[in-house]
Amino acid sequence: MLALDLELRQGGFSLHGQLRLDQPVSGLFGPSGCGKSTLLRAIAGLIRPQRGFIQLDGVALLDTAQGIDLPPHRRRVGLVFQDSQLFPHLSVESNLLYGFRLLPTAARRFTLAQIVDLLDIGPLLPRRPRHLSGGERQRVALGRTLLASPRLLLLDEPLSALDEGRKQQILPFLRRVRDELRLPMLYVSHAINEILSLTPYVAVMEQGRILGQGLFAEVIRQDHILGLARSLGLENVLRVTVERHEPDIGSTTVRYDHHQLHLPLSALPPGSETWIALRAADVALAVQPISGITIQNQVAGRILGLRRIADRMVVEIDIGVPILAEVTVKAIRDLGLKEGDAVYCLFKARAWQYLATAV
Amino acid sequence: MWAWLPPTPDELTALYLSVKIGLWCTALIAIPGLVTGWLLARWQFPGKALVDGLVHLPLVLPPVVPGYLLLLLLGRQGPIGRWLFESWGVSLAFSWQGAVVASALMAFPLMVRAVRLAVRLVEPRLEEAARTLGAGPLRVWLTVTVPLSLPGILTGLLLAFARSLGEFGATVTFVGNVAGETRTLPLAIYTYTQIPGGDRSALRLVVLSILLALAALWASEWAARRTERLLGTPKA
Repeated sequence: MLALDLELRQGGFSLHGQLRLDQPVSGLFGPSGCGKSTLLRAIAGLIRPQRGFIQLDGVALLDTAQGIDLPPHRRRVGLVFQDSQLFPHLSVESNLLYGFRLLPTAARRFTLAQIVDLLDIGPLLPRRPRHLSGGERQRVALGRTLLASPRLLLLDEPLSALDEGRKQQILPFLRRVRDELRLPMLYVSHAINEILSLTPYVAVMEQGRILGQGLFAEVIRQDHILGLARSLGLENVLRVTVERHEPDIGSTTVRYDHHQLHLPLSALPPGSETWIALRAADVALAVQPISGITIQNQVAGRILGLRRIADRMVVEIDIGVPILAEVTVKAIRDLGLKEGDAVYCLFKARAWQYLATAV
Repeated sequence: MWAWLPPTPDELTALYLSVKIGLWCTALIAIPGLVTGWLLARWQFPGKALVDGLVHLPLVLPPVVPGYLLLLLLGRQGPIGRWLFESWGVSLAFSWQGAVVASALMAFPLMVRAVRLAVRLVEPRLEEAARTLGAGPLRVWLTVTVPLSLPGILTGLLLAFARSLGEFGATVTFVGNVAGETRTLPLAIYTYTQIPGGDRSALRLVVLSILLALAALWASEWAARRTERLLGTPKA
């Protein structure tokens, strides 16, 4: 769907990398200031890379080798800004219809009524943007972009200006856009839980480089991305199903494959799927099960490999899914662990972090 | 004691001329001022500093200097003036049209500065949003940039009109002080102060000037309030 290979310099900042997105919804993840927004602006045509190409559904939006550079208004690439950028001099309705009116009738994929209904913004139509709350503004901005019938929807940190409660109110609308309108989306965020609540497919950026892409849990453990994952405490990311809650003892039991994990109490309904994360340094290894210890999870596994990184060892263990543990070289030497050994992985319940509901 | 109040026909002519020249001047520079202010605010191009300097020159020069330059260029004997006269039969020297040109030149930098400031205050990402929604550059300019800089544009137009009302030096140098043709309020007041018994006329014209200025201010305030409501943003 979207393929690009770019080289872009702007002031002291440079961005380059390749990206090939073939999933209907993909995330672009990276720390603040890594160039995610710059990449989006290049896709939308708002800045021009020095070299490279951008293709959408096989059509070149940019190809410096052939001198192709479609202006933004011919690209049909929708961009939702972090701070909505609604036109202050127009009513909500006129904002929504701004791009819609510029389209030939045949190119209009949605109707005003359809989008208003989808995003539940009917009562806002006669209002001015300044009378809207942050969450309402973002829904209107999303609707305005959708009504312009883009071939690709770019979302640039659309929730980061909202507080946690509002984020949870907007996410269902984004899921409805994903499921009901079937519009290809690229969702950019520095918050992985936002991305994971929309899609498991993620491209990872750091310091102007696109480091890799694929299923997040797999991408994140690639050697050159592991450092970033480590700094964010995201080396181990698991998709699990909530099994049961025991509020009186503050415990929630979740399941992956046929294994169970005991986690801190969560409010998620049983049967729902969620992403959880664990730092590699929070995984302890034992050669046999240990009794009389508060650690709630002891999962048997087999060592897939050991890597020494600087002064520490990163051990990959298969416990139904691959898990990374970070321990000292001394600990490995003292236990004499090597590839193929059976070990028990010890996880404190409270070391797991709930990332996002996956639906 | 009120017998001295009604202005004489000559004085009314001066008032009428001032308003006519002021409105023409404002109309003449509205579009060029808008475009130039926008260019200077939003674009980098070679020679920008030169354009910027030239536009602002009348603001810092003694008004007689631009007036004299106009006379050299646009007067009957000037290269442009002769061409205008021979090809089109148009003569600017000593005509009210010439007075419009003189005050337009003096008012232009004020209009440009007001527009430039207003355009700079328009969030560029609003324009980018419009681009990604499918609007071409001209449409973005007309539907986003211009409406959002409307308060500044109105201010610029008022300043231009006011500058034209007050214009003296360039006008008197270029088109002289011809009664009924180029003798605007300031020129008429000056003339009356120079002749014996002209004090009353001068005073009446001073009062008329004040009323005219107040009317212009009031009209601009009214327009600004209307625009505020239209834009949905209270003016800072």
